[in-house]
Amino acid sequence: MRALTYQGPFRVRVENKPDPRLEHPQDVILKVTRAAICGSDLHLLHGLVPDTRVGHTFGHEFTGVVEELGSEVTQLRKGDRVVVPFNISCGTCFYCQRGLTASCENSNPSSDVACGVYGYSHTTGGYDGGQAEYVRVPFADVGPLKIPDGMEDEEALFLGDILPTGYMGAEMGEIKGGETVVVFGAGPVGLFAMRSAWLMGAGRVIAVDCVQYRLDFAERYAKVETVNFREVDDIVLYLKDLFDGRGPDVCIDAVGMEAEGSVGQRVLGLGLKLEAGAPTVLTWCIDTVRKGGNVSIVGVYGPPWNLMPIGTAMNKGLTLRMNQCNVRRYMTHLLQHIREGRIDAKGIITHRFPLEDAPKAYHLFAQKQDGCVKCVLTPGHA
Amino acid sequence: MPDRPIPGAAVDLEPSSRPGVPMERAPHPMAGARMPIRPQHSDVRVFKHKGRAGFPPVFGTAQPPRGLSGLLRKVAYGYPDHWARHWMILLLADRVDVWEHRLAKVAPWAVPTAGVLAFTGVVWRKWARA
Repeated sequence: MRALTYQGPFRVRVENKPDPRLEHPQDVILKVTRAAICGSDLHLLHGLVPDTRVGHTFGHEFTGVVEELGSEVTQLRKGDRVVVPFNISCGTCFYCQRGLTASCENSNPSSDVACGVYGYSHTTGGYDGGQAEYVRVPFADVGPLKIPDGMEDEEALFLGDILPTGYMGAEMGEIKGGETVVVFGAGPVGLFAMRSAWLMGAGRVIAVDCVQYRLDFAERYAKVETVNFREVDDIVLYLKDLFDGRGPDVCIDAVGMEAEGSVGQRVLGLGLKLEAGAPTVLTWCIDTVRKGGNVSIVGVYGPPWNLMPIGTAMNKGLTLRMNQCNVRRYMTHLLQHIREGRIDAKGIITHRFPLEDAPKAYHLFAQKQDGCVKCVLTPGHA
Repeated sequence: MPDRPIPGAAVDLEPSSRPGVPMERAPHPMAGARMPIRPQHSDVRVFKHKGRAGFPPVFGTAQPPRGLSGLLRKVAYGYPDHWARHWMILLLADRVDVWEHRLAKVAPWAVPTAGVLAFTGVVWRKWARA
């Protein structure tokens, strides 16, 4: 089959590799119909995630058609169209039973920091991802959600990651109605966090970024106020001043480890690798939010450590909430929001490429060129 | 703030209407889940970090470890994942892996080319002395 493969930092290419096969009775093989490039794929591309091996196929946000079924699969049939959560979750372990599917203990031997994830290095289990013609999907009766008849794959595609992640980001902000919410990062996850904050009854939502076209997109798509942090002297003071000198009630970090905004953090984290990326936005969240407020972290950070102002968080009495998204529990609820027109998930797609052009798509997305917000790949057979 | 910024604003105002509230729910198996989970069999070498008690029943088998990078990964997985050296050795192994693949890619033409150049150099020196 044709598949995107990692060739080393900043290099990917599409090449032939063996088709995936059923390796467990609860597996299915999907013929991929759509695969998105996620912002967190860029951390892999840039060589920031430990145990990313040459030849690895990325892609944890995809839809497909069931092609082959394992002997114990009962809920799916050949030809079913499904969208797949990025977490590989068994549904029976201590964590899955409690709804914490991102912490499943039955899918990743390599690390305790996360469960198995498609196409996200061997640190998350060593599963090839969906930026390919075919992909192996374990625990197929638990994770995948059938796409309803009459619904396009692209409308459901983001139920696999960024839509639930953005929603969970707002949810962890514990909005009770009327709160002021600042979302750092106007990328795809940030956009869905903004829309979700409105759905939960936020009183005012502000997007912060340094890419102007993305802020303009956020204004149109999520109906939020925007701030370009490069155009103000001190983003923390600016935001505090907007809210009576105290700061907002909730700050959401939808950026993660490759944040702009601090030369020092970028040199330490991205250049010298003395910390896991640049936690600039996390630092801004803690400094900006009002005392007793909530900081919600859905931007991805890696092990083993980061320089962040935990003392400030402690002294301000903040609530810090964070997690990889427990995707499966959100899918049905958000599918309903899409069907009833409250979230136009497909509306964030700005670019579509054939799988063969995936390296070009990565470049465009990483460099934020041509107004790119979200790229979707289409395998040749789809 | 606009009264109704987007369609459905505040539709999930009630926390109990949100799928992730409470974060931990009363334990019960998820729909479609099957127990017991039969263990996956594989001839591919897969590492388990030392802090983990047992091997999970399901795992990925992509890109088995090999070469010097594979040896480094074996060393890294000998440490639990809360040790910094576990991660630092893995990052080193990733860079070695890239160079191994680059060398393997250029070897088919670089080795013969180097041989021809060396042979030509020897012949040239002998001819120059003569």
